[in-house]
Amino acid sequence: MRYVRAALARIAGLFTGHNADDDLRDELQAHLDMETAENIRRGMNPDEARRQALLASGGLTVAAQAVRDRRGLPWLEGVASDLRYAVRALRHSPAFTVVVVITLALGIGANTAIFSVVRAVLLKPLPHRDGDRLVYLRQSMDGPGGANINFSVPEIRDFRAATPSLGGIAEYSPWFGTLQGDNNPVRIDIGLVTGNFFEVMGLSPVLGRLTTPGDDGPGVPAVMVLTHDFWMKRYGGDSSIVGKQVRLDGMSLTVIGVVEPAPWFPDRMEALANMVISSHHLSALMVEGRSHRMTEMIARLAPGAAVEQARTEMAAVYARMQREHTDAYNPGAHYRVAVIPFKEALGERARLTLWLLMAAAAFVMIISAANVANLTLMRGVRRQHELVVRAALGAGLGRLRRLLLAENLLLTLMGAAVGVVIAVGGVRLLTSFAERYSPRANEIHLDVVVLGFALALSVSLALALSFIASLPREGAFAAAIAAGMRRISGDLRKHRLQRGLVVAQVAVSVVLLAGAGLLTRTMMELSQVNTGLRTEEVLAIDVPLLQVGGGPSNGTDPAVWFRAIMQSDAAAKVRYDQMRREIAALPGVTEVGLGSSVPLRGSSTRFEAKAEGKALPVGEPAVSPDFRTANPEYFSAAGIPLVKGRAFGATDGFGAGKVVIINQTLADRWFPGEDPIGKRVAWTGEVLKFSPISPEWRTIVGIVGNTQDGGQDAPPRAVMFMPFAQELSLGGVVVIRADSNAAELAAAATRIVRRIAPAAPIQSVLTVRQIKDQSVAPQRLNAVLVSSFGILAVIIAAVGIGGVLAFSVSARTNEIGIRMSLGADSGRVQRMILREGGVLLAIGLVLGAGGAFFAAGVIRGLLFGVAPHDPVTFIGVAGMMAAIGIMACWIPALRAARIDPAITMRST
Amino acid sequence: MADKLDVQQGTLALMILKTLEGLGPLHGYGVARRIEETSRHRLKLNYGTLYPALLKLEQEGFIKAEWSQSENNRRAKFYSLTAAGRKQLARETREWNETADLIAAFLTPRRETP
Repeated sequence: MRYVRAALARIAGLFTGHNADDDLRDELQAHLDMETAENIRRGMNPDEARRQALLASGGLTVAAQAVRDRRGLPWLEGVASDLRYAVRALRHSPAFTVVVVITLALGIGANTAIFSVVRAVLLKPLPHRDGDRLVYLRQSMDGPGGANINFSVPEIRDFRAATPSLGGIAEYSPWFGTLQGDNNPVRIDIGLVTGNFFEVMGLSPVLGRLTTPGDDGPGVPAVMVLTHDFWMKRYGGDSSIVGKQVRLDGMSLTVIGVVEPAPWFPDRMEALANMVISSHHLSALMVEGRSHRMTEMIARLAPGAAVEQARTEMAAVYARMQREHTDAYNPGAHYRVAVIPFKEALGERARLTLWLLMAAAAFVMIISAANVANLTLMRGVRRQHELVVRAALGAGLGRLRRLLLAENLLLTLMGAAVGVVIAVGGVRLLTSFAERYSPRANEIHLDVVVLGFALALSVSLALALSFIASLPREGAFAAAIAAGMRRISGDLRKHRLQRGLVVAQVAVSVVLLAGAGLLTRTMMELSQVNTGLRTEEVLAIDVPLLQVGGGPSNGTDPAVWFRAIMQSDAAAKVRYDQMRREIAALPGVTEVGLGSSVPLRGSSTRFEAKAEGKALPVGEPAVSPDFRTANPEYFSAAGIPLVKGRAFGATDGFGAGKVVIINQTLADRWFPGEDPIGKRVAWTGEVLKFSPISPEWRTIVGIVGNTQDGGQDAPPRAVMFMPFAQELSLGGVVVIRADSNAAELAAAATRIVRRIAPAAPIQSVLTVRQIKDQSVAPQRLNAVLVSSFGILAVIIAAVGIGGVLAFSVSARTNEIGIRMSLGADSGRVQRMILREGGVLLAIGLVLGAGGAFFAAGVIRGLLFGVAPHDPVTFIGVAGMMAAIGIMACWIPALRAARIDPAITMRST
Repeated sequence: MADKLDVQQGTLALMILKTLEGLGPLHGYGVARRIEETSRHRLKLNYGTLYPALLKLEQEGFIKAEWSQSENNRRAKFYSLTAAGRKQLARETREWNETADLIAAFLTPRRETP
């Protein structure tokens, strides 16, 4: 009660200060008068009486201040006056203020922007209900494409039966189709899901309903749930879409609802549908084929169960499955299953890159903080005089600290304000970058937490800056004042902290530069990888005309469906041929080819294949080449070199003998040391039954070179080409080679395609150069971001080392003057200063090289074509840092050399 | 001449309360004089010690202040004890006596028969 009352009185005191001050003055004056009167009564003369009274009072001003401190909340009033003072002080040194604010803004801005990405992509809880209970299951094996081979339905059935720690297992398979609409058909990615999918994922509808187990199995109506993004993009958030019918590849589906925004994994999805739209998914092969793996698994941990428990149970079931079904698990391929928390799986691709950027940004922060610290220290030394005077006038050390804190807070908060503006721009840039890596990129926002991060960063920085500054020690004032303020600054040797900060700046810059160097070399190596194509002046228009559909409806003969597909395919080919002829007539076009795949992009269709007379070695997984088609001009139009044999000809028509062209990788795999021309190969495997592709033997007529499909660092893939006219075309790409700038043809060629196929979705119109650039884009962005951080760091560090030396020179002006008057020539003085900087630089370089050596090992996974400890990069980086550092030292050294001893001595 | 003692923190409040209880409403000067006299001038109160202590007691509600005329017609601020102040004085007196007894018991050499 008593404290509450006192506190209230003090808060009230904040606002009554002015009146109370008058009151207090009167009271103290009354006291003094009474005491004076008493002294006179005792016989002193009036002057002496007053003097004695004043002596006894202990100082009216001090007493008034003591009362004032007691009255309100002196801390708060102090802060206000400190801030007022700080504003004044900073206005007096605008250059210092601007340099510090910009330095801090860059550091805080970079950190805030990257932190907002890290938070959204890696740290923030998932939007799913109890999202931390979700686990992603992944089956892998050795060999190309083995990193994630998905699960088969029988496998999932076994897991479901024997893993009590998994409370629910949702299945989905990626699928795609063309959604027809008024004049703008669009190819969409669909997830085929089990009815329990949304229940397990913990997602709610924003509109309508989601699928339930009632939507499973054959004979149920086909239904579709739209993702929030797609609903907004395609339907503009129109709620009347629920309950309507949409056409997908000729099938009719009912839109039953819209699901809340959520990240989709492993790939973006526009909509989710039940399995009934794909007869394949309900077929015996899918349901019974243990090796028919095309389903993703996400599970929810049962209440109370831990991930570890799920792992143990999964491992036990999996071991049993492998024992019981030896045919489905080739022991040579090392089949394995991983249980990964869903949030981690979502962040998998982004993690290393993001932490790299976060670390780079943190390094920039360290360097800029060190620089600001140095500037503050130097300013502190120049202000020593002022501080000593303040201390002598009665300001306690705590009070001086607070004064510094107010100034530093003002600086860092201004830095944070500008930094947040920088971060807003940075976040926009980084979001488009993060989209390549993470399904959660659309969750990136500068929100309260991120702003809190910037604020916390600046406040802790201000605190640190205020406490590293050395204040005059109590008792040292007298000595300082007696010394006439002359030797207070001392020489550089005494300023260990400043020197330490410079060394740290150099070291951290070297680490950043080394990272930047390695990533830049990675980017260069990648762009220099031979794509395998002869020219980049190629434009590819991806325009699928064929609608494969989900398959025969229940009960119909698959052969009937296949015939329908082949008819549709034949019609599509007529239109492709029309496009080819019309585009070939455009000026500047050299050659036009037709095929199933965009050059440098892989095809998603793969079947198992076999070569006549070649038994699969035991323990090796079967070969699954990409299935592609090409017309006679495709190879030369795309610039794919023919290594051996012939390209397809007009004679390889629909009824003619079946022929194929294989790529070098497949030739090496099947026919090492032999001539493959004339040998026979065939598609095989169970999945083939679900396609109209025939398993008959086909004769190899040619071998083409490998191309870098799916990325410059992608391992070469096995590819088998069929004549476009002879086989199901499977999608359709018009490949246009131009004699010069292929990109200029885009508009005219697209117009022709649009006119001939107005209802077809145009997937992409890209030149080969653009495709190649896109595949290197993530690495380029890595390199650009880390390099800009590196350059920033070097500039700040150079300013730092130069500044400290300049300060040292100005503090040692007298000493240098004396040295020169005693005979040291200017060269000697210059060398002395250079040596001083050189030592700092050298220590920083050595420490930095050590740090870089370690850091390079950490980012090994992001490098390509360059060893993590690449000596050329390391030497180059060290040389660059040394050169810039020496240049930064030269300016103060020259200034030292120009010191005129006469002037110096006279001014002492 | 021995140095005058600085008044101990915490005991000053008690002295002020006791003084006001004995003498009734009193101005700051009177309080200071009274305390110095009671201590036989071993204590010396400067303004910077006295007035913050008075303000603190006022904020805590143990004393109240009022401007009025002094004995020789001078305007002065008079402090007087409140009911809460009386209670506080009784409590602090008791506590102080107990503490003093306790300390005395420790400091007095014990004469124990073996």
